[in-house]
Amino acid sequence: MAKQHKWGMVVDIDRCIGCQACVIACQSENNVPINEEVDFLSRRAKQWIRIDRFWEGEYPNVKARFIPVFCQHCDNAPCEPVCPTYATYHNDQGLNVQVYNRCVGTRYCANNCPYQVRFFNFFNPSWPESLWNQLNPDVTVRSRGIMEKCTFCVQRIRRAERLIEGQKGEELTDQKIKDGNFMPACVNACPTDTLVFGDLNDETSEVVRKSKSDRSYRLFAELGTEPSVFYLKKVDPAAKSH
Amino acid sequence: MQVSRRNFLQLAGLSTLGAVACNFFPEREFIAQSPSEMPEDLVTGIDNWYATLSPTGTESEGLVIRIMEGRAKKVRGNPLYPINQGSHSVRAEASLQALYHPDRISNPMVRTGNRGDGQYRPIDWNQSFDILRSQLQNLSDGTKLLSITNPLTGSLAHIIKTFSEEFGSRHTSFQPLEETVFNSTVKNLFGQDTLPTFDLKNCAFLLSFGSDFLSTWLSPVQFAKGFGEFRQGTNRTRGTFVQVDSRFSMTAANADQWIPLKPGMEGKLALSMAQVIVSEELVPQTTIESMNTGNTFAELQNALAPFAPETIVSELGIPALNHDKPEDVIRKLARDFASHGSKSIALGGGSSAAHTNGLFNLTAIYALNFLVGSVGQKGGIRFNPKAPVETLTHTSASATTTEWIKIKQAIDNGDISLLLIRNANPLHGLLNDIGIGDSLRRDDIYIVAFSTFWDETTEIADLVLPEKQFLEDWGDDVPKIGPGFQLIGMQQPVVKPIEPLNPMAFSDVMLRMANELGIASSFPLNKTTFLEVLKDNAASLHQLGRGSITEPSFDKFWNKYLQQGGWWDEQSTSIDGQPTPPMLIEIVSKHTSPSIIGPKGSNTFNLLPFQSLALTDGTGAHLPWLQSTPDPITSVVWSTWVEINTKVAEEMGLKEGDFVTIEGSNGNSIEARIYHHPAVPPNTVSIPIGQGHTSSIKYSKDRGANPLEIIGLPIVDHIGSLAWASTRIKLTPTGKSSPVPKFEGIVLAEATSEHEAVIKITRG
Repeated sequence: MAKQHKWGMVVDIDRCIGCQACVIACQSENNVPINEEVDFLSRRAKQWIRIDRFWEGEYPNVKARFIPVFCQHCDNAPCEPVCPTYATYHNDQGLNVQVYNRCVGTRYCANNCPYQVRFFNFFNPSWPESLWNQLNPDVTVRSRGIMEKCTFCVQRIRRAERLIEGQKGEELTDQKIKDGNFMPACVNACPTDTLVFGDLNDETSEVVRKSKSDRSYRLFAELGTEPSVFYLKKVDPAAKSH
Repeated sequence: MQVSRRNFLQLAGLSTLGAVACNFFPEREFIAQSPSEMPEDLVTGIDNWYATLSPTGTESEGLVIRIMEGRAKKVRGNPLYPINQGSHSVRAEASLQALYHPDRISNPMVRTGNRGDGQYRPIDWNQSFDILRSQLQNLSDGTKLLSITNPLTGSLAHIIKTFSEEFGSRHTSFQPLEETVFNSTVKNLFGQDTLPTFDLKNCAFLLSFGSDFLSTWLSPVQFAKGFGEFRQGTNRTRGTFVQVDSRFSMTAANADQWIPLKPGMEGKLALSMAQVIVSEELVPQTTIESMNTGNTFAELQNALAPFAPETIVSELGIPALNHDKPEDVIRKLARDFASHGSKSIALGGGSSAAHTNGLFNLTAIYALNFLVGSVGQKGGIRFNPKAPVETLTHTSASATTTEWIKIKQAIDNGDISLLLIRNANPLHGLLNDIGIGDSLRRDDIYIVAFSTFWDETTEIADLVLPEKQFLEDWGDDVPKIGPGFQLIGMQQPVVKPIEPLNPMAFSDVMLRMANELGIASSFPLNKTTFLEVLKDNAASLHQLGRGSITEPSFDKFWNKYLQQGGWWDEQSTSIDGQPTPPMLIEIVSKHTSPSIIGPKGSNTFNLLPFQSLALTDGTGAHLPWLQSTPDPITSVVWSTWVEINTKVAEEMGLKEGDFVTIEGSNGNSIEARIYHHPAVPPNTVSIPIGQGHTSSIKYSKDRGANPLEIIGLPIVDHIGSLAWASTRIKLTPTGKSSPVPKFEGIVLAEATSEHEAVIKITRG
């Protein structure tokens, strides 16, 4: 029997430069609709992964910090118990999964998510016909009235499982994930290797090794959500100690 | 295992239901109970990934493209390609939207109405060739032809260069914010024809003057790759990065310390650092002597004395930082820089080069590397060898502003009457004050435009020829900023153009014209197709018998060349000639301050235009992913904004979203919205370039404004480039206001803005 996976991510904030490569790579991979100007003005733009920028200090002693934020795939996810239709549930690989055709759009999950990473489709998405050619056939195009969010590119994980574990009967290792283009799109794109994806059940994986760093922490850990995403703190020799 | 209802009820009675249920109800059973199979759970087909490269801008990124059923679905950085090593930028990702953009030009077109009124008639390719050939044949003199292209390298540069030589015509490249100042500095200071790279991966102390190298400067993905390792690479100490910049750029945001200063004073700050290093003898005496041949140490000290931090500090405009006096900031910076020796890098470009004294600024900045001995060293500045094959060494230089003024005069005088313009949009990217627009709209010239899209320049052309998008086309590339060893990138078509698109490769058209004009006697013009040229050059690489591909037969070499996306040889690092240190006294003797032009008085500011991360100089403005990419600092999208210090704006009564008129040094003005920015120096404002397109193409038309229209004609001394940072502007409220489109505020960023769990910052 194939090994039980538990997928997770490490985000090294000290490497992140805020270049947005992950944001657009995600939109391309996951058929996230084009965010038109009106979507931003009406506060309905969707980014499954976003780079939050926040300020510290005042000119001239001012700093801007970047933190990539996306679904934390919490083991104790606040979005799951509030869903009346079980459209969002926890699967047996640690993923917080959104089943689009169960979703009836109550938006309770978005209300209950402390990370603000769930987005609602207020309208049906639309692309000019020629741009349909680019859409990823592995990913559902979400219709009006349902929620969407980061899936850790579950379609890539499924493909990896079928090819490596199903057809070849081999174990899906870190290296095979990297070699086979099976990492989430954001991880692929990141020029500074800020994002590391892997199996938290595999003690030899890079994601486990990095998650044990002394810089490691989890967003809103005190809420008890048990996220599967570990952040490594920004290093700033001049910072006041927190 | 089968679970009957009875079994279930029995199990439900057990207190250990949770644990048992996990075993009895695996996830797939839940899925089977509902009609919820989504594409994510199904195998939809077999995908193939093909290697190619994105030849956009100065940076070439090696890519692998996911192809399913003849359609390009996804871009990924080529993990083998030494420049970007598996990563890629937003610009490369958006090439998919360029490929499938709804407004691609599908057929050759010939103008039927007045120039600029948009009336064209489709024709077929044979008619196009007839028109093009007759236009070329009808010229009384080859010099009356001017070819304007985007910057080219490799085989395509060779074709255009040879064509121009054989025909007797001129060729120039167009880049709105070209880097001639940097190129000249590299040539003068290091004696190199190729541009160097910076070994950030092994660097310990990085000092950047004005260059936004993580966002848009030269080769940002390559630099970002090194920067990640610089920060948290294995088996190394975290590097320290200081950015000296008049603007708080994305790169400045990533610095350990940002040092704002008066625009154009970067060179003098570098000399001030040199004064500290020399007077405190922070580097070996022999190094100082090597930069002071023919003079005594006392003479050098005297020459540098006016640049002592205490003496020059008021001129530099550096504020007190973290309670340190500005002179102490400079002194500490010089000491830190010197203490890391050959693992220190001082790099400059961007706004520090774009002042009237830009050449002095860069010369003084890069001279610091000689002082600490980091030139040509691991962890320092690494030089790039020439391409291994002579026919691949060609590049096309971008014309400077002064040269464009001469080109305009030549058009007006009738010395140029035929223009071949390829993938260049001077009508948007060139300054209004040059007046190229009036010249290109004359009735006595004929313009042939090769383009994938309509743009301002294409829309006034007489003959419009649709070009293949790079994912449909062949090519090769010698990166302008190489990785420190020989590298040839390979670009192959990964998809075919979709009906009704009927484009051709620019290279193939030029080869055909050369043949029909009878000037195809020598390589590469004697080839019928571009693919043959590429194969000939590949055969030369094969004969070297070294590098990343060492296959015995050419066929196997060629296949691997395409599979890997290029050829490289990590051992081939030797360069022509070793750089000799410059004389510090000579640099001191050439010091100048910038001549900043433009309005003075109340509500006036230094203007620092910048290339936005996604749109860069405006070439990506028609791609919705790039338009909707949030600016890293402001998160603004789809528009042009004015970055102004929050407190200054409040004092002027300007709220975010208020429109202001921005009057430039040439008296022209544009309008844009105010964005409150806490890190803008009080005496400056910044505006991104890239918007302000008037062409009819979807997504970019009539959006924002183009600051290049208002900056007048400031010129870099001795070089002739545009000194785009040496201007001032005046802000006047218009009374209009509307919300700024931005991502900031769409989600409550409480998870990342105020909560201590997020902002934990440790001491290094």
